[in-house]
Amino acid sequence: MTALNSGENKTVAAINHMDLKIKKGELFGLLGPNGAGKTTLVKVLCTLLPPDGGTAIINGYDVVKQQMQVKRSLGTLFSVGERGFFWRLSGYSNLEFYASINNVPHNIMHDRIMEVLRLVGLQDKSSVFFQKYSGGMKRKLSLARAMLADPPILLLDEPTTGLDVVSSRSLREFILNDLVKKAGKTVLYTTHYIEEASQICDRVAIMDKGKIIALDTPEAIRNAVKKGEFVEFVVQNITEAQQNTVRGLNGVISVTAEVQDAVLGQTRLRVRLENLEALPRLIDYFFKENMKLVNFKREEPTLEDAFIEITGVGLSE
Amino acid sequence: MTFREELWKTYYFMKRDIISFATYKTNIVLMIFSALFGALSYAFLGANASVLAVLQTYHMSYTTYLIIGIAFMTYLSQSLTLVQRTINPWSLEEMLVSPTRLVTFIIGSSLWGFIWSTATIAIYLTVGVLAFGVVLSVNIIGTIYVVFLGIGTFIGFSMIGAGILILTKQGDPVTTLITIITTLFGNVLFPPQVMPEPLRTIAFFTPQYYFLTDVRTMLTGGSISSIYRELGILTLMFAIIVPLGYFVFAWCLKTSRKNGTLSWF
Repeated sequence: MTALNSGENKTVAAINHMDLKIKKGELFGLLGPNGAGKTTLVKVLCTLLPPDGGTAIINGYDVVKQQMQVKRSLGTLFSVGERGFFWRLSGYSNLEFYASINNVPHNIMHDRIMEVLRLVGLQDKSSVFFQKYSGGMKRKLSLARAMLADPPILLLDEPTTGLDVVSSRSLREFILNDLVKKAGKTVLYTTHYIEEASQICDRVAIMDKGKIIALDTPEAIRNAVKKGEFVEFVVQNITEAQQNTVRGLNGVISVTAEVQDAVLGQTRLRVRLENLEALPRLIDYFFKENMKLVNFKREEPTLEDAFIEITGVGLSE
Repeated sequence: MTFREELWKTYYFMKRDIISFATYKTNIVLMIFSALFGALSYAFLGANASVLAVLQTYHMSYTTYLIIGIAFMTYLSQSLTLVQRTINPWSLEEMLVSPTRLVTFIIGSSLWGFIWSTATIAIYLTVGVLAFGVVLSVNIIGTIYVVFLGIGTFIGFSMIGAGILILTKQGDPVTTLITIITTLFGNVLFPPQVMPEPLRTIAFFTPQYYFLTDVRTMLTGGSISSIYRELGILTLMFAIIVPLGYFVFAWCLKTSRKNGTLSWF
């Protein structure tokens, strides 16, 4: 499948000859940096964006030729979906409207709305105006909306964006346990958070520049990064220049750095070494530069390492 | 923080606004026309000729003319902005991924607005009849037909405006232009017959003129045969503008979907 996106002056392939099958009842993760084409893929699958070439089949229906059947098979949560809600209506009234346009029969509408509100834990807030919902509640209501018509397939585009850690975890557990394991839904879950995909997905596709560049279980993708050893350091007061020096040390393959504690000036370095013989050289360098080494430990390769290995760039790039 | 510094700040506030304003070139032209047309409208309204022209052309009091004109413009205003109000990008996306047809969405989204407009019109007419001696003799079928044509024609304009808005993401010049034209040529506050010949001719190309002429006749005891020509022209405009509006809107929506830019405005 191919889909083009036209900007102001140029047209780019947002999805470039993609070939992908998702099994029934699978929680499938689509991972990639911003601009990789994840949202474009979701828009093609939910019939919002016509593909420029190829076909996409949802629940046996063609997304171009059988749009109504595709729409009845899908529930979609957009990455900024809460803006589709009516702010001066209660959560219940919003769902009532969306239930009607999603063909939920009138005689079961109330029960269905209450059921999805219970599923996302908003049954006690059903009469509260949407404008008074917190960010987490809005996200949950978006998910409830996607589930209203009880579709067999759910497209969840970055469902945890904007949520705090606790709400994110709770939403992920709900998707895995309630939607996939209990209700048997097929879920396409897009994210640029590697750990999310790693924690809950049966299979993960890594997408970059409109193409699938890796597709397997999270475990298998992690294991694909066999070369080298991973060590994590927490270092105090390391400068940008010193980080670059570390990158150039003999035996160092790659270094990713992130601030662990800005107040204490602590930086977490994830260093990939050719082998453990390079480790003393690295530690010597830290001592020579009078840097305080707060902590260090050996690490298993993560999905992020796999992503960097495959794409040659970090997710933030 | 000196007075001079504060003055400079206010200058940069103003500069920011001027630069921003200057980017809306169409809007600037429309604003100038709006001011010009507004001034002319009130000048014609103030002329005694209006009252005389109403009596001669429509055979009704100026109060009756004015109340019916203002009341029924609510239908046209409601229709003119209908599609634009319905298609904010977020609810449009949610609608397009649901198994609901676009026409259902537009009609469903407009019903309450038209019920409210009808209530508003009823209030206008009731006040007119009870307090200002407006005399009504309603041809119900004729009125419904004329209102149907007027609303349909203006929804056609609304679809053109909404289509342009979706495609260009830079505002809707159609609604603004028609609103401005209505002020001067719409036959709402004064009959175009009081204007000089060139301006009067422009009025005869606007559906507002025919809509209000027809509806006034249907509400004040006139026969359909007396507005045969005006009704025919309004029907013709309806037959052209509605399909044109639908075509433009559908094409702009399709193009925007194809480009993946539906949610950009």
